[in-house]
Amino acid sequence: MTELSPLSPDVAPIVSARGLRKKFGRKEILHGLDFDIPPGRIYGLIGHNGAGKTTTLNAMLGLTSCEGTIRVLGEDPFAKRAKLMENVAFISDVASLPRFLRVRELFALLSNIHPNFSQEKAREFLQGTDIKPEMKIKHLSKGMVAQLHLAVVMAIDAKLLVLDEPTLGLDITYRKRFYRRLLEDYMTEERTLLITTHQVDEIEFMLSDIMFIRDGDLILHMQMETVNDKFVQLVVNEPEHQTAAWAHNPVYEETRFGQTVMIFDGVDRAVLEPLGKLSTPTLSDLFVALMQRPTANPEAAR
Amino acid sequence: MRAFAAMVHREFIEHRGAFLVGPLILVAVLFGATILAFTVGRVDARFSGAMFTVAPLRVYEVGFLAFGTGWSLYLISTLFFYSADGFAADKRNNAMLFWKSMPVSDFKVLLSKLAAAMTILPGVVYGVALLSGVLLFGVAFATTMINGTGSVGFLGQIAVIYGQVALAILAVVVCGLLWYMPFIALVGAIATVVGRWAIPIAALLPAIASTLEWVTLGGFHPFATHTWRFLENRLALPDTPYAEAWLTSAEPFNGWTFALDLIAGIDWVQVGIGAVFAVVVIWVASEYRRRVNDN
Repeated sequence: MTELSPLSPDVAPIVSARGLRKKFGRKEILHGLDFDIPPGRIYGLIGHNGAGKTTTLNAMLGLTSCEGTIRVLGEDPFAKRAKLMENVAFISDVASLPRFLRVRELFALLSNIHPNFSQEKAREFLQGTDIKPEMKIKHLSKGMVAQLHLAVVMAIDAKLLVLDEPTLGLDITYRKRFYRRLLEDYMTEERTLLITTHQVDEIEFMLSDIMFIRDGDLILHMQMETVNDKFVQLVVNEPEHQTAAWAHNPVYEETRFGQTVMIFDGVDRAVLEPLGKLSTPTLSDLFVALMQRPTANPEAAR
Repeated sequence: MRAFAAMVHREFIEHRGAFLVGPLILVAVLFGATILAFTVGRVDARFSGAMFTVAPLRVYEVGFLAFGTGWSLYLISTLFFYSADGFAADKRNNAMLFWKSMPVSDFKVLLSKLAAAMTILPGVVYGVALLSGVLLFGVAFATTMINGTGSVGFLGQIAVIYGQVALAILAVVVCGLLWYMPFIALVGAIATVVGRWAIPIAALLPAIASTLEWVTLGGFHPFATHTWRFLENRLALPDTPYAEAWLTSAEPFNGWTFALDLIAGIDWVQVGIGAVFAVVVIWVASEYRRRVNDN
């Protein structure tokens, strides 16, 4: 289910994958993914645990080799990871900063290691936080480490920023602040952001595109505007309306507080309007709707 | 090059406890204990000073050389543990993915660890060794002054001795590092794969290799094989005839002669082969690290 406006011929995709496959032993984790990510977008890569999100990201970041073709900024990431990292920044784990360093030591080292890192910017991003240059990273709280890591990646002038569960284990205040700073202080038209998280509702407001991955297959790759046009949520109270709604083949159905909630794919709103209350499904509702496996939820498989 | 130097520097920051802080504490404790011993009368300054009059300059030479030997042993053991631990430290510290987000290849990361083991880390220990020599000479000189047998006129001779012994220790450290580089690299490469298990594996590997040769090719016992003889030969620094001759002579110690003697005794072809071997095992380890993202 891929509906994207075609790329302008003069706009090269930031990421391009064709027939991307990955096996661990005999088990195939990615089953031939095809996708392009254009510049200047904010992508959400969403899927269950074990669906293949991190493997897909690792393939993009050159952390694992795969069958098929993947190009990031025109380069083969596995062959050219070091060169690629000059223009790609990522956070794969909030706790992955080297704990033995002080904050100022980290900045000083990065100034010499990364050609696109700005120590001044990093210090600016830390203004207003409790993080001080003399602090040792191992003495920072989990939230402070996340703030510091975000300051580090935001101080890198990168074309692609990849965040794999960047707010895992953080409280709601940190999470909100984290995403707000990302939007306000980092995003520009030249930069592309790719995020995976299980807290999909928290990033929905900022996404321009989504990719749903299920069991190693890309089952949805769409711009958010298209999602809003294409999917409809219907809340039905009357049994006869429910029967009428089933005729339009809902992709998902569940009962909430005595009401039946259905999600439809590509059904005209005018057709459904007489049957109940219409709305656009939230990303988490859509996620649940499209991710249900028949064996896990017989109701959805009706 | 700037990035590589920064990676070497981060090794120093990460391991300064073993290579700087630890040795400094050791020196402070030894120096403090010596001062305390004099202060409470456990060591008699007049007697010690008198002892120095028996062979006044030889005491300085032998004392500093003994310190140098001690620091060399400390360096060898610390470098062994550094190799077995430092090459796996990114994984252990949960920071593997952070370093992989930097524009530095895995080969360069591991090479920077080897470079640190060959330069800055032993360099720091050498610096502390020199400091310990200064303190040793200070204590010895003070006791001779208290005893009344010393004079300020000795200072020039003592400084020359200090320079000669410091040169000899430097020669041992540099030659030793070049000689043992393949072993440092091999333990580091094993650690990249198995972490701290590199310590027992590095110790067992020669025995296993020798036993395999004995099993497959025969021999008197597992440790009478070509492999074992080669390792025995390759693990020992060459003898220095000058040092042996000097010990039984009354001549002042000459660091330059010692250094030339040591350099002449080293099999430089083996050093070259060892350097190539070190780069190859580091490259193999980096290819493993490139494919593994354990964080």
